[in-house]
Amino acid sequence: MITFLAKRTATLVVAVLLSSFAVFLIPFVTPGDPVRKIIRSRVAGDVVDEATVRALGESLGLNDPLPVQYLRWLGDFFTGDMGLSHISRTPVVDQVLPALGITLSLVFVALGTAVLVSLPLGIVAALKQGSKTDKLITTVTQSFIAMPEYWLAPLLVLVFALKLSLLPSAGWNTASSIVLPAATLALRPISFFTSAVRSGMIDALEAEHISAARARGLSHVQTILRHVVPNGLVPLSTLFAVWFAGLLGGSVIVEVIFAIPGMGRLLYDAVINSDIPLAQGGVVVVVALAVAITTLADFLHRILSPKVSGALA
Amino acid sequence: MPELVVEDLTVRSEGTGRPILAGVSLAVKPGEFVALVGGSGSGKTMTARSVLQLLPPQLSIESGSIRLGALDVTGASEAELNRVRGGRLGMLFQQPKKMFNPSKTIGAHLREPLKLHSGLRGRAAKTKVLQLLAEVGFEDPQQGARSYPHQLSGGMAQRAMTAMALAGQPEILLADEPTSALDKVLEQQILELLDRQRIQRGLGVLYITHNLASVAAFADRVLVMDAGVVVESGTTETVLGNPGTTYTRKLLEASNLAPTSIPAAPTHQRSALTLTNVVKQFGSGKRKGRPALDSVSLDVKKGEILGVLGQSGCGKSTLARAIVGLEGISSGSITRTVIAADARATAVQLVFQEPHDSFDPRLTLRSSLEAPLRSQKGLTAAERSRRLAAAMEEVELDPALLDRRPGQCSGGQLQRVTIARALLLEPEVLICDEATSALDALTQRTILELLQRLHRDRGLTLMIITHDMDVVRHMCQRVAVLYQGRLVELTDTDKFFSDPQHQHSQDLVSAAIPCRGLHLKKIRAAL
Repeated sequence: MITFLAKRTATLVVAVLLSSFAVFLIPFVTPGDPVRKIIRSRVAGDVVDEATVRALGESLGLNDPLPVQYLRWLGDFFTGDMGLSHISRTPVVDQVLPALGITLSLVFVALGTAVLVSLPLGIVAALKQGSKTDKLITTVTQSFIAMPEYWLAPLLVLVFALKLSLLPSAGWNTASSIVLPAATLALRPISFFTSAVRSGMIDALEAEHISAARARGLSHVQTILRHVVPNGLVPLSTLFAVWFAGLLGGSVIVEVIFAIPGMGRLLYDAVINSDIPLAQGGVVVVVALAVAITTLADFLHRILSPKVSGALA
Repeated sequence: MPELVVEDLTVRSEGTGRPILAGVSLAVKPGEFVALVGGSGSGKTMTARSVLQLLPPQLSIESGSIRLGALDVTGASEAELNRVRGGRLGMLFQQPKKMFNPSKTIGAHLREPLKLHSGLRGRAAKTKVLQLLAEVGFEDPQQGARSYPHQLSGGMAQRAMTAMALAGQPEILLADEPTSALDKVLEQQILELLDRQRIQRGLGVLYITHNLASVAAFADRVLVMDAGVVVESGTTETVLGNPGTTYTRKLLEASNLAPTSIPAAPTHQRSALTLTNVVKQFGSGKRKGRPALDSVSLDVKKGEILGVLGQSGCGKSTLARAIVGLEGISSGSITRTVIAADARATAVQLVFQEPHDSFDPRLTLRSSLEAPLRSQKGLTAAERSRRLAAAMEEVELDPALLDRRPGQCSGGQLQRVTIARALLLEPEVLICDEATSALDALTQRTILELLQRLHRDRGLTLMIITHDMDVVRHMCQRVAVLYQGRLVELTDTDKFFSDPQHQHSQDLVSAAIPCRGLHLKKIRAAL
């Protein structure tokens, strides 16, 4: 387990380093003078004349070899200095952190709801495999896959905000602001989670050790609770992490539609406005979090299924 | 203690309406060892499952009664049944490793019946777990209780399952082929353990098996089943000594593998395989245990039949996997002498133990078998199809079977297909890793005959990995004995049985003598 931990942490670090290097290169590979772009992200005032640009370039170390510049950029980045936004002229970190907070709460509520809905649905569908209930649950949740966010979000707004006036249609001001965007985001994971829980449970139910458990005198319910559900939920833990990581940067559509100042919205704006420092800050933070979460899920998976840890160690 | 009585039990499959059991009657008295024998699919397992009321959902009891003392099992409520299962009625399953929840420790498994049937919890339960594990022969019960199922060998898992079945202090134990995946020494130990329980506390045992040697050794009475019907029953001496039906005679014949006249080991022959100081070490650093193979040197002659014997976990399978290259070796060398000329990787083929596990269940047999041929250049579809059909005929199967999926074939058919798959690649050496131990005696017999014919006709070199001494005596020219990863004996079969040198070989040979059990019964009668 220790070796595994060390190995996975090393992989995590390498993944973050590689992606951050790509991000670091953005000013160099996009059109325009990289030196001017970098100066703009480092110096608050406007710089126009060549002489100042050269002097500033010198003092910011922009003539150093790329690897040296990269290490300096990385060091600044992870000590909280992500530079200045090209547009708002305020520190990027002050925009990224609040946006991250908003997106994290949105994603957490959406996926939490998805789990709470999928667990009972998946378990019931598996226990009554082939029945009408199973078919109903499977058909309905599968149809969610075909409901894209840009279609669902306006529909929900139309019904719950405009017609029924129950919930706010946009913004991030009241607690109820989270309901419609979270519901929109939760729908597709519900369909994937339900089908994962269902098939995980069916596999667990068909395992031969189930009849051995019954032969020990465990009742049907005891067997399900002790020997089926825990094993059947293992696939969900991995899927949850994948979705969590994906939605961190993937909630763009929902955030734009509902005018939520989250990460997706921030990245969208940064790209639209060619705000390089803002995009850099947003992408690296999202990547680091996503990699950390999937690694965490791997640990969880190993704790849940000792056989996996035995096989890999 | 009460008696288990099954009367006129008929079980039918709801889908097909086919009777699985037709009027089965049997009784197991306290302190009695009753054997239920028959080929695969004869209904032995379903009889045991009916007793526990744990039939697969598509099967149901149509008529008949099952009584345990005063309790009518067929009419009992679920709550009553839950008290009986694992309590008064214990069950041992075949394939012990698959019968444990992979994410729970052995200790956690054993605490369940203790809590359910004896009300033991906490420290008391822990102490009892250790005591039970020690009783079934765990050298380090602490370690055993902490282990996860996948960390145990087949033998240890069967011991753990025995401990679990005994935890509820059963009156009757249903043992469904508990030893068919184990070697002779372990089999003897497990059966002796059950027999001790029988003598000490009057445990009644229903022993389901297709191994007649162990029946002769332990059973008081025998029931023979064929196609869901009990065709013969009586005392062990009568049924095995003077069988009344042709089916029983066939079973007896099949399990009595007399040595065939095989030419002596061809010492002058060239080597097919040369292994020099092969070491296989799993794990590294602190996890490094005893090497799975410890400087094994072995010379397999071209055209010989070599038997490889040894206990579960002695490195037999690792050796086979190393030879075909499925497992890398840590040091030493393996040379395929005969085929060095064209150095085909496919010149050594492996046949696995579990025929159902060696095919992709989603593919038809044709697609499975065609896959290796596709990698050979210059074969047209028609040519491939012709070779598949020829290979099927070689193993005496109808080529029409190729369009079925593994689930639609019997174990015996599939094991033939595995051999056909190996033959397609025209191997020089065929390694059979316990290729017949999952099959019943009748099927085993026919597979062995097939292998002998291939050896004779094709000059195939065979390496038969087994724990079945009868198989070795029946068809091997030389015997190699592995013990804890080391090759401890390599000798001619005759010499091996008449004068085994190593202590472990002596144990194997003495455990294999069927009459030893009959002595045991005489001793028992005298007590």
